[in-house]
Formats: sequence, structure tokens, C-alpha cells
Amino acid sequence: MLHTRVETGDIPVIYLEGEIDLDSVETFRWVVSDAMRGVSQVVVDFTGVTFIDSSGTGLLVRFCLDYKAQGVQLQLRNIPPVVDDVFTMLKVRTLVGDEAFLDG
Amino acid sequence: MVTQATKIPATLQVMRYDARRGTFKVIVGDPANVPREILAQRAAEAMRARSFICHTTDDQDDALLGADEICFIPTADRCEIVSIHTNGWRRHHGDHRRSLVEILNDLAAAVARGTLSFLDDEELATVTAEGREIFACTIDGSASLAQARAAVARVLNDLDVDSDARRRLELCVSEATTNMVVHGGGEGTMRLRLVDDRLRAIVADRGPGLNFLNWTEEAGGAGQPSMGYGYKIILDNLERVYLHTGAEGTTLVLDRTI
Repeated sequence: MLHTRVETGDIPVIYLEGEIDLDSVETFRWVVSDAMRGVSQVVVDFTGVTFIDSSGTGLLVRFCLDYKAQGVQLQLRNIPPVVDDVFTMLKVRTLVGDEAFLDG
Repeated sequence: MVTQATKIPATLQVMRYDARRGTFKVIVGDPANVPREILAQRAAEAMRARSFICHTTDDQDDALLGADEICFIPTADRCEIVSIHTNGWRRHHGDHRRSLVEILNDLAAAVARGTLSFLDDEELATVTAEGREIFACTIDGSASLAQARAAVARVLNDLDVDSDARRRLELCVSEATTNMVVHGGGEGTMRLRLVDDRLRAIVADRGPGLNFLNWTEEAGGAGQPSMGYGYKIILDNLERVYLHTGAEGTTLVLDRTI
């Protein structure tokens, strides 16, 4: 189960809480696509994420690259170890670039 | 009447060459229409070199190999011959998505280092009967995935497995069951067995088989091999992975010491 909350503003922030897997990846897709409308930057906060698999990671990588190509920045922050582990396994930082990570 | 164009997915073939007997056995897919003497020659080369050798269509004698990509992987006194027919799907993407070439090379490397084994029917029966069953459940859609993970977590917690191994096993089981839901007909079973000091997860479906190389979009588009990130996670985090696949379904067996 994935819960999402969007803090609106010049730079919207999407707070994710729960698990990102095949079952919730459509929620993830919808909330990011919706928040990206009409803005040049969106932040995704992973503090509450307890699980992510290749479905979620694959979508995230695709989003980062596709939006970057359109001049829109999707930035990620507060990556918990359980998510960072999967990102490391799949070389996410290499794929999307370090600049997509707000907290280094 | 609405007709739909048939899309033939990229497919995988695995043959086993027994060097002592000079015989071939088909393990996965339909054997490539390749002269056996050529295959035997290439297998012998790899066995002499004691390392896996991959050939691509760029090689001069590609026509003789009859596959778009083919790898010869020596293991003891036999050689696994793993090949891909791309069937028109692009071999390379040139972007972040894993290409067929990468996938085949990863498979070959996993077989060479002993992590991955392709099983025939007899071997599957042995591997799935070893040890004792400690849990079984049905997977029938994406909503079951979290339940399967929770079940694995409970079992591993009861067995006092450390948190790192537990997390990795949960992730790998999740990837295997996700693959089953997406490509294996949408449903199947997940069983857990204890085999000595190892946890063995057996994920089985009755899907169309060879499902892990099916492509999700058409050539020329943003096609992505389904066997991408998920299988990378599985192969990188487990000690042994066994794969049996055919027209009657796919079984993936995942082993990790606990």
C-alpha cells in the first residue's frame, strides 16, 4: 500500500509513505505526472518508503530521464537505506545523475 | 472482425552439450537450426578456454550460428549453449534500458559463476522436492505481492534470520512473484522450503513459458525487455537460482543461506 501527499507551491513536494511495487506503481505514476504539470521542478520525498522493487525503480528512472529531456527536474530526497540499497543494486545514481539527489 | 498483429517476442534457447558423449539436450525453447558440428566445435573451444564465450551477429560466421546472440558456457564436463533470437526486436537500446545483449551476457556470467542453472524436467523434480516445506501460498494478482512478502518476512523472522538476509530474500521473492503476475499468466504459487541451512523459495506459474524475455513494446519504440532489473536483483542477491521454463509454465527456484 502506498500513501501519497503533495505539498503544493512553486516547487511541489510529493511525500511517499509505504511500499512501491507493481500494485502501487500506478499510484506513483499518477501522482508524479499530476504534480509535474506546469512546473519546472518537483521534489519526491522518500522518508516514509518501506519497500521499493524493480517496478518502482524502473518507473522512477524513466521519469527522471524523460522529464530531464523536457527540461523539467525531478529531484529525490530523504532516501532511506532500504531504498538506497535497491538504487545501488540498479545503479540509479549513474543512470539519472547525482544532481537528481538533493541530499548527496 | 478485429484482428491483432502477432508479435513474436525475443526468445531464449538453452542446449546442453555433453562433451564425453558428444550429445546435445534441449533444455529451453526450440533448438536453433544450427549444424551440431559447429556447436560442438564452439563448445569445445569454450571448454578448452575454461571461460564462457559469446558470439554476436557481427561475427563473420554468424549465419552458421543461427541465432542473434549465442554464448557457450563450460561447466565441468559439459557446456551450456545459451542463445537469443531477437525476432526483429532491437538488440541494443543505447539508453538506460537493459539490452538483450546485456541480458544474455549477464545470464552467461551467472551460469559460469554457478549462480544460475537451467533445469530439465528431471532436475526440476529433484530440486523442488529437496528439504521440507515450511510455507505455501497462492499468488493471484498484484495485491498478493505484499502478502507474499509479509509471509516471507514472518517465516524468516521465526527462523531468526538477520535483517539484511531477510530484506534481500523478501526483495527477490517479490521480484520473482511480480514477474509471474506480469508475464506468467497472472497467477501461480509460492512455496518456501528449508534445505539444510538454506531457504529455498519456489515460484511457479502456468504461463506461456520463456516469459522473461518477452518484450513489452514494439521494435522501434521504447521497447524494454521484461527480464531487466528484476532478474538483475535476483541474480545479484542469491547464491543459487534455478530456472525451468516451457510451454506449460515457468518455475524459478531461489536459494540463499540463512
